[in-house]
Amino acid sequence: MNTQANAPSQSLAGFAAMLREHGLKVGVSEQQAMLQAALALGPLQGQRLYAAWRAMACHSARDWRQWPELFERYWYPQRLKGQVRVSGQMRPSRDLRQAVQDLHKNMEAPAASVPGKAAPHTASDAPGSSQHTEDAGSLRAMGGASRHEVEVEALHQRDGQMWLPQDLGTLQQLAKHIAARLRPRPTRRWHSAQPGRRLDLRQTLRRSVAWGGEPLRPAWMVQRREPPRLFILADVSRSMESHAPLFLRIARAFAVAAQARVFVFHTRLAEITLLMQRDSSAIQEKINAVTAGFGAGTRIASSLQDFVRVHAKAQLNRSARVWIFSDGFDTDNPDALPAALQAVRARGARVTWFHPTRAVPAAAALQRSHACVERFYPLASLSDLAVASRSLN
Amino acid sequence: MNTSTADLDSERALREQLQRVGYLADADLATTTWLAGRLQRPLLVEGDAGVGKTALATALAKAQGAELVRLQCFEGLDLSQAAYEWNYGRQLMAIRLTEARSASASAKESDVFARDYLLERPLLKAISQSGPCVLLIDEIDRADEAFEAYLLEVLADYQITVPELGTLRAQHIPQVILTSNGTRELSDALRRRCLYHYLDYPTLAREIAIVKSAVPEADTRLVEDCVQFVQRLRTEDLAKTPGVAETLDWVRALHQLSQHTLPEDTAVLLSTLGCLLKTREDRFMLTGERVRQLEEGRRSVGVAEKTDAVMAAT
Repeated sequence: MNTQANAPSQSLAGFAAMLREHGLKVGVSEQQAMLQAALALGPLQGQRLYAAWRAMACHSARDWRQWPELFERYWYPQRLKGQVRVSGQMRPSRDLRQAVQDLHKNMEAPAASVPGKAAPHTASDAPGSSQHTEDAGSLRAMGGASRHEVEVEALHQRDGQMWLPQDLGTLQQLAKHIAARLRPRPTRRWHSAQPGRRLDLRQTLRRSVAWGGEPLRPAWMVQRREPPRLFILADVSRSMESHAPLFLRIARAFAVAAQARVFVFHTRLAEITLLMQRDSSAIQEKINAVTAGFGAGTRIASSLQDFVRVHAKAQLNRSARVWIFSDGFDTDNPDALPAALQAVRARGARVTWFHPTRAVPAAAALQRSHACVERFYPLASLSDLAVASRSLN
Repeated sequence: MNTSTADLDSERALREQLQRVGYLADADLATTTWLAGRLQRPLLVEGDAGVGKTALATALAKAQGAELVRLQCFEGLDLSQAAYEWNYGRQLMAIRLTEARSASASAKESDVFARDYLLERPLLKAISQSGPCVLLIDEIDRADEAFEAYLLEVLADYQITVPELGTLRAQHIPQVILTSNGTRELSDALRRRCLYHYLDYPTLAREIAIVKSAVPEADTRLVEDCVQFVQRLRTEDLAKTPGVAETLDWVRALHQLSQHTLPEDTAVLLSTLGCLLKTREDRFMLTGERVRQLEEGRRSVGVAEKTDAVMAAT
């Protein structure tokens, strides 16, 4: 194989692999489109290529926000400070202009490449792509400092210290059971169903054409019901260190069973829904990496405000349920938490608080927030969740 | 290389065309819109209400002299409202007329299920256009998942399958723009068929340029003051953040009141804030004092003022 000729495609495949590692959905078609755009725009159009690839690789606001950092990190690693360098290994060239120029050359001189050998489109096709994903793609590089390395290891060990397969099975069953119990909200919309409560006039007329206009086969409709939208906010601060793995396991079960959106918070808030929905052994490590930089105290009120204003801005409504897994100890002003919870309640969402202690924590902020929280539940084990499942609706 | 230069020119031309019809797109948005047209891919634009998502489609249609076909999505939108519907009344009339003309001759099924009896709804109308067309699918997040699934065929292959008639393919591929406010998560399948652009609130300079272009009769000083005020207002904890449309309304209102700068009198300013603030809570939160602070460019209450306030309270 002509490695020189494939280098730009490899770079692109490596970039795509890194994007996938960070939760962006970049498949073969996206890679092909990125390649097309690179060829159409030319090597001197860095900014335009940046915009074009962003439009192709990003599929949500979350991806959109991540893009500038990911692009810089892959194509211009020298501009970023605090990176962990992997010594002793040669990286393939990551100069964007050079890569696109090479692509053009390859296109212009097809004889140079091996006939019948397509350029790798996926990370697994690309030789050395695993190295890409390990050094540039790893979120571990975010923190950069050795202190973070230690944190990751410690949390990783914690994840492996518990949970037998039967426990996981029980948790999944419980999650399914609770998800089924969450009361669906009737909407104003009606949809066709047999038998139904209301005559579907349009469909009945449509059917009547077959009998010359005689409505011999009436169609019926029932009111459509939508399951509530579930948001889980798990506290992963130092004070919750021993409970965080349980919270994350439970959150993951609901992310799968009830399509819950899952967030973790400490001094800031981060969404981890995508990581939760994947079945990978490295989830815990990735979650730790996402929460890199979390330190100092727990800022529950600020995280909740961020949740209401940015992350769930358009989705918090009457059918939303917000579950907070935390001990309630907040370094924000004690008045800030009731105000933040009030903002959630003002959107019509129902707030349920799960605390790891038997009694409701005595934290001042939480004590002032009783009016905004529908119910408090202790949550220190699976049996607590089983007890809670009887009254959660 | 020549292709790239030509593309660069056409992209710049698109940006200028949009500017001529009053839509000031930044370089990234112009690139993405141009690319969507070139690759014949739909463009999904997300962002808060009032940042100019719908305006992009209308401006694009105007700039390119294309027909704008708009599909406004809502909960319960179905095929018969979005794509096509058989004209039942006309079909029945045809059957009755055929029966009346001759007792022996009855209408054939193929007669009443012909294109003449098909009522075009926006999707079918867009793919039936013989000339350039911009299809705006507005607020797709308000439609149901079932409708979203139906859209996949239209957006991927630009065709609509009518069981009684067959597959109707687009004669001229329309440029499709979908907008979403994020009230519901869209499916991955739909997202992956589209190019994506997140439209944020414009920067200070861009918003000033937009307002100047839309309200040229307003005083420059007034425009700059108003836009600066709105930009600061957006950093406040509001239930409904004012968009560009609100800024335009406000500038127009102040211009109508013959103001050349932001009014010195806070009461006058407060009386016009209805153009920017659309909920009771927001209006209640923005007191005269806070308005004055925003006007002066302060983001929070100063320590001295806080102390004064505490002293006054005690």
